[in-house]
Amino acid sequence: MTIAPRRRAALLATLLVAWVAGSVLGATRPEPASAAPLLQIEPAHAEFAPVLDGSEPIFVLVIGSDARPDQAVESQRADSLHILAINPARHKATLVGIPRDAFVDLAGQGQNKINTALFFGGPDLVVATVEQLTGLTFDYWVMTGFEGFTTMVDGVEGLVVDVPFAMDDPKSRAFFEPGVQRLSGNDALAFGRNRHDLPAGDFGRSENQGLLMVSALRQFKKEYSKDPSRMLIWVGSFLSNIQTSLPLDELMTLAFTGTAINQNAVTNVVLPGSTGMVGGLSVVNLNQTALEAISSDLAEDGLLKKKNVPPSPNASLVAESS
Amino acid sequence: MHCLPEATLLRVLSNRTSPPVPANRTERASQKKRRTPIALFAIPAAIIAVVVVVILVVSGGADIPIIGGGNGQDDEVPPFDFTVKKSLAVATVVDADTAALTAAAEQVGQEITPTIDDLFTNAFLDPTNWREGDYEEVFAAFASEALPAAQENVETLTLGVTAGDLFEDVEPDKGSLAFNVLFDPEAQPDTAVVTFHFAAIGERTDGTFVRLVSDGQFFLVDQGGWKITAFDVTRTDRKMQPLSPSPSASPSSS
Repeated sequence: MTIAPRRRAALLATLLVAWVAGSVLGATRPEPASAAPLLQIEPAHAEFAPVLDGSEPIFVLVIGSDARPDQAVESQRADSLHILAINPARHKATLVGIPRDAFVDLAGQGQNKINTALFFGGPDLVVATVEQLTGLTFDYWVMTGFEGFTTMVDGVEGLVVDVPFAMDDPKSRAFFEPGVQRLSGNDALAFGRNRHDLPAGDFGRSENQGLLMVSALRQFKKEYSKDPSRMLIWVGSFLSNIQTSLPLDELMTLAFTGTAINQNAVTNVVLPGSTGMVGGLSVVNLNQTALEAISSDLAEDGLLKKKNVPPSPNASLVAESS
Repeated sequence: MHCLPEATLLRVLSNRTSPPVPANRTERASQKKRRTPIALFAIPAAIIAVVVVVILVVSGGADIPIIGGGNGQDDEVPPFDFTVKKSLAVATVVDADTAALTAAAEQVGQEITPTIDDLFTNAFLDPTNWREGDYEEVFAAFASEALPAAQENVETLTLGVTAGDLFEDVEPDKGSLAFNVLFDPEAQPDTAVVTFHFAAIGERTDGTFVRLVSDGQFFLVDQGGWKITAFDVTRTDRKMQPLSPSPSASPSSS
């Protein structure tokens, strides 16, 4: 089809007018609201933390020395011993308390109560002894004494703990009603030391010490979620009052990783055993079957299968209280 | 230059090209061919001129990007500096020299502040960045491990990749910083956490105004220069009323 030159010229002129007018109008008239990009009015949140996410478990030996304020922490007895196993990928962790009177082979030092390993060889012997006992390899150890513990807790303005049952023990000065309460450093120490009014004695005490650690994790996460800079206060208070093999940068990474751990997915247990006497010493003979099952289970992924979770030594008190 | 009125111009042109009318229809038609295009282009030209004049009058002479013309937008970066409210030192040993650490924490704050000033200037205020949706300079502040997450959150950490379609202008309102600095046992700064509050006023393309607020915290570690290794940022934009007859000139907070 051919277009007459006159019509072609008219068409071109019309198009020119339309083009110019359209451009000018398009540039000056606001787009209809429905066509405009939406403005972000709802709060938007962005976050990133360098958490570990590998499936390889991390093992930390937590050592509580019975050193009093004027004593060297590393040359007393380790009256509180816990294996902390973290599974970063699954955001879970396990705490395994070791009874202080467990009669074991101290690595290279003959048989004795496990709490004497610290006295005889410092934290290195404690680590070697627990590694020999369990077959686990520890990545780090951390250790504190009475004063360090209380100062550390006070440094984070106390620990909020759901005390599971009433306590009335003059020896440890543990006087608590059950329920959620904020414990000062001295209160938390009393809570963690009390064994005299617990039916399972040191087994129950060890479980309560684990409960303090879970409470600390819960509180740390809560404070971090409100104000991430609180992490520095926790790390500062922690490092100022402990001895550890953890370098600061790795501690920061673990702290970030801790923010991703579900505190309700932390299994808190105590190695089971029975009391006995060895050469006039009151000792605990660990249940070897349970020890092997728990150790091999932990080695796998840092977590315990339900079948390997031993009964709570404080179960009867918790049942009474509830 | 003297300009003839359009009607006169047409008449003059018409007269100048007007030969005697031929009797032959073909010849007449061919002569028409020569005359008609002039009218066809002159009339549209007049229409265009009228349309442009009308548009200019209606828009009050505002910047109008006519075909191929400049956009008339101001690419000047508004000056902005955060106000540092406090710097707190966090020790990792019991017997730390608190006064010395506090002074060192203030020093660290001074070292980091320009990085944060630049970050927010590049993220929200530099028109050459937000008009293009290009925030490369912003991401330079992030450590390699945090970079992918920062890039994924570009809409929250910056004015956004489509900001050029949304905003005409963005002016800073106010900003404050507070530092917490963690020192290692040798009293060397290890990690700094900067808590920030940033607010700006954005003038949208539809003439409305928005208060842009970014709150949060950056963790920074000295990696041969302080770099952001972790972040927690909340962005809140709120519509607001224009505050003055010429609000784009000097907006202020509500």
